[in-house]
Formats: sequence, C-alpha cells, structure tokens
Amino acid sequence: MPLTKEDAVLPLLAELSAAPGTPILLADGSSSDGIFLPFLLGPLTFAGIYIGIYRFYRNTDKRHRYERETKVAVGNLQQDDRRTGRKTGQRSRSMDGRNDTDHLTRVRRLRVQ
Amino acid sequence: MTLPPEEPRDAHEPRPAEPAGSGGPVPPAPQEPAPPREDSGNRFIDTSSGRDDGLNKCPRCGSTEIEYALGAKALVCSHCRHTWNEQNAEKLFGLDSSIAELQGHTLASGTADVREDLTMVTLKCQGCGAEVVINAEQSVQARCHWCRQTLSLNTQIPNGAVPDALLPFQLTREDAIARIEEFAGRRRTFAQRRFKEEFVPENVMGVYIPYLVVDGNMHAVLTGDGEVTTREYTVTVGSGDNKRQETRYDADVYSVQRAFDLLVDDLTVESAERFDARDNSAATNNILNAVQPYDVENAVVYNSHYLKNFTSERRDLNVRDVDHLVEEKFLSIARAKVQPTVRRYDRGVRWTGEGVAVRGTRWVSVYVPVWLYSYAESASGDSLVHYIAVNARTGTTMGSIPVSHPRIFAAACAGGTIAGIVGLVVGLLGFFA
Ligand SMILES: [Zn+2]
Ligand SMILES: [Zn+2]
Repeated sequence: MPLTKEDAVLPLLAELSAAPGTPILLADGSSSDGIFLPFLLGPLTFAGIYIGIYRFYRNTDKRHRYERETKVAVGNLQQDDRRTGRKTGQRSRSMDGRNDTDHLTRVRRLRVQ
Repeated sequence: MTLPPEEPRDAHEPRPAEPAGSGGPVPPAPQEPAPPREDSGNRFIDTSSGRDDGLNKCPRCGSTEIEYALGAKALVCSHCRHTWNEQNAEKLFGLDSSIAELQGHTLASGTADVREDLTMVTLKCQGCGAEVVINAEQSVQARCHWCRQTLSLNTQIPNGAVPDALLPFQLTREDAIARIEEFAGRRRTFAQRRFKEEFVPENVMGVYIPYLVVDGNMHAVLTGDGEVTTREYTVTVGSGDNKRQETRYDADVYSVQRAFDLLVDDLTVESAERFDARDNSAATNNILNAVQPYDVENAVVYNSHYLKNFTSERRDLNVRDVDHLVEEKFLSIARAKVQPTVRRYDRGVRWTGEGVAVRGTRWVSVYVPVWLYSYAESASGDSLVHYIAVNARTGTTMGSIPVSHPRIFAAACAGGTIAGIVGLVVGLLGFFA
C-alpha cells in the first residue's frame, strides 16, 4: 500500500501531457524562437507536478462518459457534403474552431421537424 | 429499455446539391410530426403493482419480516427462510418494447411529480389497523410501532417518492471496504493529515441513489463545415539568420450536413438534488456520477424490503427539472455518434448547428446501489464533503481525497527547481555555444 512519491508522480506527468492546457503552454514557449524554452522548464515542471497531483487526488475531471457509454442505435443516415471553397497557405494542420471531438459544448440550436 | 435488433441502415444517396450558400435551411427530416410536449399527450405505465395497502409480504407465509441478504443476493423471509427476488422491471412493465416505436412521452408512475405538500404520509397498518405517520422526506419505509409490521409507501402515484425499480446490491461491504482502502492507500502521500488520521473505511454506507432513466426516439440534424487537406508543402520564411523552413497546408472546404435517426437506451440522470453532478459546491458529486454506468436493464420491481439496512435518498427532481439536461445529453450523444461519418475531413469539422426532434421518450425512476465513504474536509459545518464511491454492481471505484496544499507545493517546488537548474544549464550552453 505505501507507495513512494515517484510512483505517484510519474504517471501523473504522463497524464498531464495529455491535458488540454499543456500544449498551449509549450506552444507559447516555442513561439519565442525556442531559445527561452530551457528557462521555462522549471515553472512548467512546477505547474505540471502541482496540477497532476491535485488531479490524481481530487478527480475533479472525472465523470460518466455518457455520450460514449450509453447504448444507442443510429439509422437512416443522410449525408450532404458540398465543396464550398478552398484555403491555401494555412499554417495549422487543423482547421479553425474545429469541434468534432468536443461533444459537450453546445452550438446554435436548430429547429428540427 | 431495449434497442430493436435492426442496427444502422445504410446511408441514403447524397441529396442533390442545394442552391449555393452554406448554412441554408435544414432539410426536412423523414416525415413524422414531432408529438406535442404537453402533459396531455403523456402516457403512463402503472408500476404500483396494486400494492396500495403499503405492505410487502412474504409470498409464502405472509410475514413482513423480510431483509435483503447480500450473501444470497435475494430477499429472505426471516420467518420461513423463503428466498426470492422481485421480477425484472423491464419485462414486467413492458419497458423492453422497441424504442423506435416510442411516440410522445411515456412515464412510469414512479416518475410522477414529487409532491412537496405530501412529505408526511399516514399509512393504515394492515396488520393491526393502527394509523402510522411516516416522513417520506427521510424514508420510504417505516414500522408500525404497535405490531412491528413493516409498512411502505407503495402508493406511488400520490407523491412520486417511491421508485419504479431498483438494482439490488451485488458487491459485499467487505469488498467495498477493500476497494476504498486501496483507492485511498494509493493517495496517502499528499493527503490532508487529518484525513489520514480519521480515515475509517469501515464507515462506508450502502446508499440507494435515485436516478431517472430515459429512453429516447429522435431525429438529429447537424450542420457545419469541414476541411480536407489537398497539399502539404514547406516554405522558406524570414531572411538572413532568421531564415527557416515552415510547413503550409492547402485545403478544400466543404459544407457538411448529417441527419439521422437516433435511439438512446437507458440514459441516466441524477434525480436527487443533493447528488446532482452539475453541482459540486457542497460535495464531490462528480464522483458518484463517475462510477456509472449501471446495468439498469437488470433492475427489479421496487420492493421496500430491499432498502432495509441501507440508506436511501428520496428523489426530489421531477422529469421537467431534468428535461433540458436530457435534451442536451441527446445532442452530445448525436455529436459523438456522427464522428465516424466525418473521418474524411482530416483538418476537422466545425459544427455550427445542431438539433434533435424528440419523437418519443420513456421515463423510469430507478434506485441504484452505491457503497459510499464520505468525509467533510474541515470540521466546520459548510465544508466540502469528499466522497469515495463504489458502484455496488460493477465495483467501479472513484473518489476525492482532501489534499494538503503545502505538501504538493513543496513537491512541485522541488521538481521545478531541479528542472529549472537543468534548463538553466542547457539554456546557457545554448547561448554561449
Ligand atoms: Zn415467509
Ligand atoms: Zn400494526
């Protein structure tokens, strides 16, 4: 039962690297030409350990993933896809405002008959 | 509460292109007018089983000395030792009929509005004729203090305090204690000292928590934009010392629309305000939410004897209190289900419109079993209550442990300092290289 600190912290850091806030911090660091990145290592590690431990203990982010775990059946699928234009010279690999994996955030409500 | 066997049919032919301009009108769904949501259109399923005498007797000897025995996973009559379980609620009440056929709103009688004015209920004891007042706020079961008959509020329609069905405990208390010990044991280092000193997993309580279980038959429509990469190339930017290579992408933009029928089976929502997962201000209710799912399809017809030796929380949220939440959950499910159909958009999809036409729902009130360890973070009255919960059907365990912030701070400082020194050395070497 008694585990060392390292045992607890290492998996946490692994979990943290998948946390939504982390890539933004890292991206901020690299945007300043990357030369200051080593100096951010200390603060980033501090934040990572703090958030990671807190999350492992408090589990404030845990919930029932009902949108995946509920039994559902889908039928009568109708797809309508039309090309409306093109974009060139995009810097990002993903489109702006992409939300196809963000199922919980609501968008404009349509009236469906 | 069972899905019909016919699984997704093939996609229809794509419709002919509409006049230009994305964000156009949503195409009409396969014709079927949405039913009105008025109460008048509701259908009711009577789950009271005609036991309005308030008594649940042993079917063999008629005694009311009955308890739920975890060893036998059944009700046991302490008089004649007869052992039995109530019937499967789904089958008995016909809740397993096809969801695709659901029209309008079907409400089992246990989901009727909880009447605030009826917290005190008088039951006439069928054993001796005495009148016994019980507080439905605190319990749904009581004893006649004259003849010791067990009385129960099985008159369901008047106040909706009694559920339609219930999932009996499967996991023993010992098993739950072991899981809670293990969960907390892995989280000792940074736990609040007072928590470690006062941690007594044996204080775990068996609690029945009320849920509303919803089946839904609906048509969903989603509209948005998607992008497909057509070219990936590198460009040279900057000049002189700053000259570097960067990647650029070209993409085709599409307007994307999906319409489909969706059948949802056994979606669960908390129906006791105290345990509502949306509110974590007084207790870590998300913990109770996180030990789901439950095998609701195995719920048995409610019988108050299942509650003996356990605590039960009364439902205080009505169907219309959670109606909005359920519709949002339907939308989330629709968004999750449509994801495999937009895989070709490798740059992603931005959904801008979503909607469901709910053709039919079916609501059932069910008690689910949880082994619950609770701990108030501080001694004062209004402190946060931390839960460690064990799903008493599946054993899924989740919890929240009060942390000692000074100790986390120390550990983070230590780690940050080491990393900072390493970073400093690497960075300075970079400067002077
Ligand atoms: Zn008996
Ligand atoms: Zn009596």
